[in-house]
Amino acid sequence: MSVTSTLEIRRSSASVWGSGSSLRSLPAVSKLVDTSTCIGCKACEVACQEWNDLPAVATFNDGDYQTLKTLDAAFWNLIRFDEREVDGGIKWLMRKDQCMHCADPGCLEACPAPGALVQYENGIVDVNPAQCIGCGYCQTGCPFDVPRFSAKTGKMSKCTLCVDRVSIGLEPACIKSCPTGCLHFGTKDDMLELGRRRVAQLKASGYANAALYDPAGVGGTGVVTVLAFGDHPEWYGALPASPSVPWGVALWKKLLRPLGFLAIVGAVIGAFGHHLYHGNKGHVDPGPVDTDEPKA
Amino acid sequence: MSKVVRQIGFDEGAYVARDKEDVVVGNEIIRHRLSARIIHWAVGITFFGSLVTGLPVWTPVFGWMANLVGGLSVCRVVHAYVGLLFAAASLAMAVEWWGDMKMTKEERGWVGPKLLEYLRDAANHDRIGKYNGGQKVYFYTSKLSALGLLVSGVILWFPTSFPQWVRVVAVILHDVTFILFAVSLVFHIYLASVAEPGTLNAMTRGTVSKAWARIHHPKWYRELMGLEKKGS
Repeated sequence: MSVTSTLEIRRSSASVWGSGSSLRSLPAVSKLVDTSTCIGCKACEVACQEWNDLPAVATFNDGDYQTLKTLDAAFWNLIRFDEREVDGGIKWLMRKDQCMHCADPGCLEACPAPGALVQYENGIVDVNPAQCIGCGYCQTGCPFDVPRFSAKTGKMSKCTLCVDRVSIGLEPACIKSCPTGCLHFGTKDDMLELGRRRVAQLKASGYANAALYDPAGVGGTGVVTVLAFGDHPEWYGALPASPSVPWGVALWKKLLRPLGFLAIVGAVIGAFGHHLYHGNKGHVDPGPVDTDEPKA
Repeated sequence: MSKVVRQIGFDEGAYVARDKEDVVVGNEIIRHRLSARIIHWAVGITFFGSLVTGLPVWTPVFGWMANLVGGLSVCRVVHAYVGLLFAAASLAMAVEWWGDMKMTKEERGWVGPKLLEYLRDAANHDRIGKYNGGQKVYFYTSKLSALGLLVSGVILWFPTSFPQWVRVVAVILHDVTFILFAVSLVFHIYLASVAEPGTLNAMTRGTVSKAWARIHHPKWYRELMGLEKKGS
């Protein structure tokens, strides 16, 4: 997060009233990832590390092509490799795992620190390290398990969709590096259009279940993905079929918090009211009982 | 008593209350010995420490409280440690009071309509011992809440060590137990101070007046005065 001043904020975490600052609107931007043309070269991984100046993360060779098992605080773009048996043949599937920049971000919903997570007017979801308290609630709220805690900085971090580049009219670093044209960047509308055309091509080529992954459960994402096997998103590095913000986060923020607030304030008012009405507490007189001083 | 040099204005009640309770001293009765009072205030202070550092994280409405300790990032760290102290103090409290808190069948009624009867001043108090049913219900509520807050709090402290669904459950549990505790605490503070004058003294110097004991805990009073056999 380095360009707050140049992009207007649509939504900001932990704000009670008026969470956005914008009067003007910008078109939502999006990446398009065509998994069917990804060759697993990992140029996007390198470009991401280079542009964002992220330190190298130690890798472990466990006989897999995947760079890391999972995303890291210093590794925001991971190509996940999966092998699936389809019609007697092996399909080698790759998926670009990164922040999906949801239109309804669960991370932002769960975040307790005002302004630590922001959604810019163009749809990019970003962490503001100055406000982040490193509590990790964003990871609890994320349906894609993306934000990572950095022990070095004590803050959370994730893909910024290269907001610093996008805000001055450049495409994200990963897009620039892709040699096969499987990555595209533009307005969300343009990317949806391009994605639908690609899905139609795939269907014509025999991939009957090809689909565009733009899950409605999170209001759509800022990374739309073309899947040749659209009926099996879970084949692509455990991509959730119908992601949504965890029910507990909504229950907590939308129901428990206001109800709890009212219950506590209500208890205080009730106690005051009780004293105004009853005065000091008394009890029913049990009648003449022997409660006097002990008889010698 | 013999070792003490008699002073003018010697506070015998407070002196005896250093290590004894449930004894009559002059016109006073020792209700809570010093160790019990220290444990009680340890729980109280650590709870309010947790409250001040927890409420700003709970909702930005209380964000101003974070400024009292140096900001939200300080809260995030301090809350966890003060919370641990609160749990430890609560454990000590449970041990200290456990023996006095056995509930009779009759007292279980305090969970329901009996509590409202009590608040309307319509309850017959004649058989009430050192603690009434409501106090016992509060004891169990606060101890169960403390346990829930501890378990869920540890999970929320180290979020990356637990699966997502466990963290979601922990968030809910931390909220529910906090709300339960906070609401019952409001009534605890009210009933132990403004509503019943003379009660707060039991937790400060440790003593209550005989008259107070006779009104609010008649059975306890009669037992201590030798008017009724204990446990009858």
